[in-house]
Order: sequence, then C-alpha cells, then structure tokens
Amino acid sequence: MALLTPTQMDALSELGNIGASHAATTLSQMLMGQIEMTVPLVEVVDLADIYKHVTDETSALVIFQMQGELEQGGYVIFIMPLSSAMRMTNTMLGMGDEERELNEMDESALNEVGNIMVSAFLDATAELLGVVMLPSPPVLVVDMAHAAIEQLLAEVAFDVNEVVFFHTKLTCDQYAINGDLVMLPEMNTLSRILELMDDLLKKHAC
Amino acid sequence: MADTNQGHSQRAIVIGIGEYHTGAEPMTSIGLGSCIGLIMHDKILGIGGMAHIMLPESGGKRDRLGKYADTAIDILLQELSKKGSSKNMLQAKMVGGAQMFANFSGNLSIGERNIEAVRAGLKQKGISLKGEDVGGTKGRTILYCPANNFTISIRRADGTCSEI
Repeated sequence: MALLTPTQMDALSELGNIGASHAATTLSQMLMGQIEMTVPLVEVVDLADIYKHVTDETSALVIFQMQGELEQGGYVIFIMPLSSAMRMTNTMLGMGDEERELNEMDESALNEVGNIMVSAFLDATAELLGVVMLPSPPVLVVDMAHAAIEQLLAEVAFDVNEVVFFHTKLTCDQYAINGDLVMLPEMNTLSRILELMDDLLKKHAC
Repeated sequence: MADTNQGHSQRAIVIGIGEYHTGAEPMTSIGLGSCIGLIMHDKILGIGGMAHIMLPESGGKRDRLGKYADTAIDILLQELSKKGSSKNMLQAKMVGGAQMFANFSGNLSIGERNIEAVRAGLKQKGISLKGEDVGGTKGRTILYCPANNFTISIRRADGTCSEI
C-alpha cells in the first residue's frame, strides 16, 4: 500500500474531526454531560503494532460495518473499558452499582449509544463527501479489545500488512467515562474516500 | 517486536500479529482472538519459538512469514534448526482461534480455519501437538518461558488463568 501523503492525512483527519464532533455531541446529549474529544489521529499502523493501540484490557466494543454506497466499507468501532461502559449505562439507566455483571438492559443501552454515535459520525462524513454511508446493525462484544479487533483485521488486512487507523478519544469527566472511536476502512473504501476528498478540495480551490 | 512488562514478573517479548520469534527469552502474545499463538519447544535445549498467526494460508505470499499458518510453521522449524534443534525434539502447542462474534459477511469462522490449518501443517511436518486451548468465543493472552519448561500460561478477559 502506498503511504498516505501529508495532504491526504490532513484531509482524512479533518473528515474524522467532523464525524467525531457530531458523535461527541450526540453522546453529550444522551448523557447530559460535557464530552471532551481529542483531535482525531490518522495513522498507518503495522499489524504487528496493533497491540500498542488496542490493548487486551476487558472492554465493551460496539462494532458496525460501514454500508451504503461504499459496499463492505470496513468498520467503525466504539470501544470503552468495561468500567467506563458500566458507569455509562448506570448514568443512563439511573443505577449506581458498578460491581454487577452487564445485563440485557446494559447491552441494549450500549448498542443504542453506539448506534446513535456511529450514525452521527457516518452521516456527517458522508454528507461532506456526498455519498450515503450507513452503519450495519451493531454487534456488541465484551472481551479483550485486541482479540475482538483481530477478527476484523482478518478481513480488512487480508492482503496488506498495514491498516489506516483513525482514532479519537472521548472523555466525560463528570461521570469518569472514556471511550475510543476507531475507524478501520477497507482499502477500496479508503481510496474512494480519498478520491472524493480530492474532488472536494479541487472544487473549493476553483 | 517490543520489550514490555505485561504485569508478569519477567519481561517478555511481545509477538505482534504476523510476527514470530525464536530463542530462550520469555515471549507473549496479547489478546489472541481469531488468531493463533503457535508455540514450538525444544526441551533438551530449553529454547523455543512463538508465532502469532492471523490467516490459514499464504497462497505463496512471503511478505510476513508469521502471518500465515503454513509459512509460520516453516519459519519456526527453520529458525529453531539454525539454533541447533533437531525436528524430532520439537513439540508444539497452540492457543486461540476463537470466534469472538458472528461474522458480518457470514463467512466460515476464520478462527476455525486457522485451527485446522495449524493442525494439518503440524501433522504434515510430523510435529506432535502436545496441548491446545482453542476455539470458543473468548480472547486469550499467552506467556511462554522456554528456559523454564513447556508451560503456556493463558489469561482470559474475565481474569481467569490456566496453563497447558
């Protein structure tokens, strides 16, 4: 895979910024609390180094496949450490016990939060690009984050040894909640996104 | 590969996805999901190797030898033989190959295919499989210290630990 040029990195990071801001806003509304968001990082990560970005800490992952006009487009994943996930559903469901097991209510709350955030993320990026991007129904995994990601990598990185890893951190100090929004685009999707971004930049340059 | 202390008493070399390592140093693979941690051990020399296999078949690709079951088995055998191991002294164990969630594509589980490919590869090379902890739906982190013995410590997300 050809490495991304600095301009392409900037463009992708700006795209991610818009998407993640929308996602952060929806999360803030759902929790009725302030959400801080880090500047999204776009990195080309070697498979062998994935563990430096996604650890084996037990986490709740809500996984979506990007669908719509970009078919089999890759994945968007919302990852929260288990303790954060618990505090988030407690906040939403009005409960206090953090030592309990995740139940069905927690699971559907997590799926719903993921759904709303990822829809906002994809809507905002797709609108900018002028395409339709929709999330698949969510899949919730509660396990080692690295272990869950491996199964996605086996599809996304079948032919390549590097993945474009788009990553932003969301934190809510009020409830001590933090999570990561990660996008793993498929190579074809990435090229398509870059083309669309180029067109967009050219249009603005005229 | 990087040195890191993963909460174990000794520092272990982290074998990332698609990587392999041979020698006497402690080795670890973090968060094995559908991937397989394949370990080969020479109890006479107290050395061994670990590969973090992601896919069942290389289809002739030579870019990442540890990434595919077939090339990973070959390279571990080669490297261990360079370090003085003879093939009939080597034994294998494997961990991983879970199906963490139902595939979006509905394809056959990649974890299952990895397990079968490693089993078939070892059989073909005449290496005996001395232990395994494979399949299921949960991730695993493994630690192997060749200098001690052929024990693989396995840790799961819920904190339970076991050994094979």
